[in-house]
Amino acid sequence: MGTISLKNISKSFGSTQVLNNLNVDINDGEFLTLVGPSGCGKSTLLRIIAGLEQQTSGDVLIDNKNVNRVRASERDLAMVFQSYALYPHLTVRRNLETPLRLRDYNAFERLPLIGNFSPSKKEKTESINQLVNKTSETLKISELLDRKPGQLSGGQRQRVALGRAMVREPVAFLMDEPLSNLDAALRVHMRSELSELHNSLKTTFVYVTHDQAEALTMSSRMAVMIDGNLLQLDTPQEVYDNPSSLSVAQFVGSPKINIFKGTSDSSGTVSFLNVNLKRKSSESNTDLHIGIRPEHLEITNESNENTFSGTVAYRENLGSDIFFHVNIEDGSNKIIVRGLPQLTHQISNGSSVNIKRVSDKALLFNQVGMRVQFTNA
Amino acid sequence: MHNSKAHLWFIAPAIILMIIILIFPLFLAGGISFTDYNLGNKTFEWVGLENYDKMFNRKTYVKMIWATATYVIVVVPISVVLGLCAAMLLNSLRFGADIYKTIFFLPVMATLLAMAIAWEFTLHPTLGIVNSFLANGCGGVREFILGFHWLPWVDSQESWYAVACANNMDFPYWLKQKNTAIWTVCFIGIWQAFGFNMVLYLAGLTSIPRELYQAAEMDGAKSTWEQFKLVTWPMLGPTTLFVVTITTIRTFQVFDTIEILTKGGPSKTTYVMMYAIFEKAIQQNLTSIGAAITVVFIGFILVLTFFQRYVIEKRVHY
Repeated sequence: MGTISLKNISKSFGSTQVLNNLNVDINDGEFLTLVGPSGCGKSTLLRIIAGLEQQTSGDVLIDNKNVNRVRASERDLAMVFQSYALYPHLTVRRNLETPLRLRDYNAFERLPLIGNFSPSKKEKTESINQLVNKTSETLKISELLDRKPGQLSGGQRQRVALGRAMVREPVAFLMDEPLSNLDAALRVHMRSELSELHNSLKTTFVYVTHDQAEALTMSSRMAVMIDGNLLQLDTPQEVYDNPSSLSVAQFVGSPKINIFKGTSDSSGTVSFLNVNLKRKSSESNTDLHIGIRPEHLEITNESNENTFSGTVAYRENLGSDIFFHVNIEDGSNKIIVRGLPQLTHQISNGSSVNIKRVSDKALLFNQVGMRVQFTNA
Repeated sequence: MHNSKAHLWFIAPAIILMIIILIFPLFLAGGISFTDYNLGNKTFEWVGLENYDKMFNRKTYVKMIWATATYVIVVVPISVVLGLCAAMLLNSLRFGADIYKTIFFLPVMATLLAMAIAWEFTLHPTLGIVNSFLANGCGGVREFILGFHWLPWVDSQESWYAVACANNMDFPYWLKQKNTAIWTVCFIGIWQAFGFNMVLYLAGLTSIPRELYQAAEMDGAKSTWEQFKLVTWPMLGPTTLFVVTITTIRTFQVFDTIEILTKGGPSKTTYVMMYAIFEKAIQQNLTSIGAAITVVFIGFILVLTFFQRYVIEKRVHY
């Protein structure tokens, strides 16, 4: 079992409130990502789960047991730190053994030399060795066991840190931005490895990241946090397609969602620039924010009442896609449009283009940034 | 580039200076130690190892080596351990640490000369505050604690304190008594050295990443002792190496307390090497024997440095 429930968690440092009344239920075997910009309190929340930080108010429940008064070492969780926090003076093998030695040996058996006289120690040592060997095979670090952390590359250290967490089969894994110290290629590679690891271990993972791409690719559910508030907790696809607020929509997705200023008339019909969405908003007669993701805009040769025009300011070529940063004609904002290379290779900086939207994909937000629904399809 | 001699011009000043002020005097001392030369003499004779022979056979020099060894062996471990303990205690304080830091560091900053005079008064057999404190405590709590009467095997009539009280306040003469002088000097040495070690350890402690302690906690290191064993002590390895080396060299060089407080006495029990060099070569003008002691002294320091450099260094840097 590995369920974690957070009930009304608040945390303040002095007069600064960093977490506001958070409620999260993490299911057994789930890969839950806490994602948000730096300073949103996600690491603090993770450390509260771990027991390294005490919440100001609220309850933490692990397997339905209240652990508010249980210290970190007794919560049976394992943590992977951003800096890996490997013991630099111990070999990889000893690093992996440490959590087992501290838990399985009693105080007498941990004594140097005379501890070896304990009759039960030999058996325990054998089981520790087996677990370490098993873990190192899973993570493909068997040949590194005799090295010290200082002799390892970033990716290898990452694996060792994972191994140290895995080796004693904890209730849940807590990971604090474990991939942020790796180079870009390795980070992408490790994403898939972590997902595979989660699939094979079937243990609860709580993963903190500021990188929305990591959250989208790995998690079974993601919790978007901004300024100490939990804004949305849902599957990655749902968060992407159906963000609950403007901040979530802007945070998730790269490149960022385009926001247009629009209005709804007395009947609720929404329009922006010269384009009429031909759909009705539940809020009539008001100013609205209309969010359209770059892949839901197309560059077109047509020019009619469904298109608007602009000038390409910058052409960002990613190989598989080209993103055009376009200044639209009313001069108010710059938008990003995705184009396929084979269709748009002749468009360069400074060209003027017509842009058409893919219908049914726009998202509406009101003036305070909350989501507004369309009334008819 | 290969034919250019320019590099010589850059390194020459440093090398010349080093030869003049370091290497030449060293060899000169080495040379003199094999002669019977005294300062002012016009001639000298080569006497071979005679000076060294004297050093290891004459009672005075054997006592010198004993005094130096005792001082180093007592002061180094105690001041290092005390420094570490003080640093860890201060590190765990939320406030007030600065005051303690200042108090403990004061002996390091103050002139040892002035401090030694203060100690001389404090430890004076009849006028000193220490002995009057002890005398006033006869029959009281002080006697119970300092006389070790709380230990089950100590007879409260036979303890050193009780005996001194009974014999008309016959407390130790500290610096003037053969069996206490070296320990008293050691005590002052520890008092003076541990503040410096504490500051070095404080610096070492702040450089230990906090995440390591948190990782240890997550791994199940519950007690402070476990965390000390797993994180603090190994991470302080380089600091400890430096502290031990520096303290050892400094204790080998102890001079000013001896010169002011005991002048090597009573009966040469505090006759440490540095003081012996000073007494022989400067006061008594016996340059050759002074040179021989100096060579042995440098030998000790060199062995120590090599040991540090090539043996321990490899084990404390990761």
